[in-house]
Amino acid sequence: MKAQMRKGVLELCILSIISEGEAYPSDIIQKLKEQELIVVEGTMYPLLTRLKNAGLLGYNWQESTSGPPRKYYHLTEEGTSFLKDLLATWNKLVNVVNQSTKNLVGNE
Amino acid sequence: MNKTNNVNIGGFPFTIDDDAYAHLQKYLDKIEQHFRHSEGYEEIIDDIENRMAELLNERIRNKRIVSMEDVEHAIGILGTTADFGADDFSEGRSAFDSSYKTGKKLFRDPDDKIIGGVCSGLAAYFGIQDPIWVRIGFAILALGAGIGIPLYLLMWALVPEALTPKDFLSMRGEPINVNNIAKIVEDQVENISDQLSELGSDWKSKRRKKKSEKKKSWKDRH
Repeated sequence: MKAQMRKGVLELCILSIISEGEAYPSDIIQKLKEQELIVVEGTMYPLLTRLKNAGLLGYNWQESTSGPPRKYYHLTEEGTSFLKDLLATWNKLVNVVNQSTKNLVGNE
Repeated sequence: MNKTNNVNIGGFPFTIDDDAYAHLQKYLDKIEQHFRHSEGYEEIIDDIENRMAELLNERIRNKRIVSMEDVEHAIGILGTTADFGADDFSEGRSAFDSSYKTGKKLFRDPDDKIIGGVCSGLAAYFGIQDPIWVRIGFAILALGAGIGIPLYLLMWALVPEALTPKDFLSMRGEPINVNNIAKIVEDQVENISDQLSELGSDWKSKRRKKKSEKKKSWKDRH
């Protein structure tokens, strides 16, 4: 369950980062590393591929001076509304957890 | 002197030291094996290979030949399959994915029980709205052939009680996702806070009682 939660949270973060504009995987990873959510790049590619196959992400190829062409990811329309739902769910969850911990502290 | 190899990584030509080549080959083989059963396997491998090419390219810039250190540097950034192990997001679906169905499992339902929750668990398992029908069934079995009672006791002993939110979802065969878990957590939080406030008022009334009893006995004595 813990791994699944982490996976869900990670998805939420990735979608949020991409929603700010087209993103290259290693840039996304840089931001996630700062939050200590992900450590190595390799874990990212399967996740992006899955989100893309689910129709939430799309990508454009862009030529690169430093190597092969790069995939830049963006949110699809479906991805945008999915992210909105996800955020609502997340906020609800945070509220619930806050409430429960508040109760515990208050009754000690 | 060192033997070198010419390789094509992600469509880019590289000249690479022999030992570095062997190391890289082993690494990419491991990655392939790791993701073999993942969704979009070929694309994942391509992405990783392309990124590998980019990392090596950035690294060698002015050199002509890829060395062992360059390969290790790139692997350090991409991560080994051992690193993925702790963070395996390649397989399965995420917590938010509504298509993630739980396997339905038989549990006893502690929230809706008369004796051991066997009947309500069975009702949940078979999608029967009201467990009363299962209970009637057991009663008939018990009265008729007398098999109902030992059967019930056996199931009570063997079927586990649903304890965690995941158990409850499995019991009803609902998909596990954050929405559902949130709902169950919410229910439980409400439950707990109800219980706490009940406990609180219970305790207060008991204390009041005790106080008044004390007062009484004090008055009686004086």
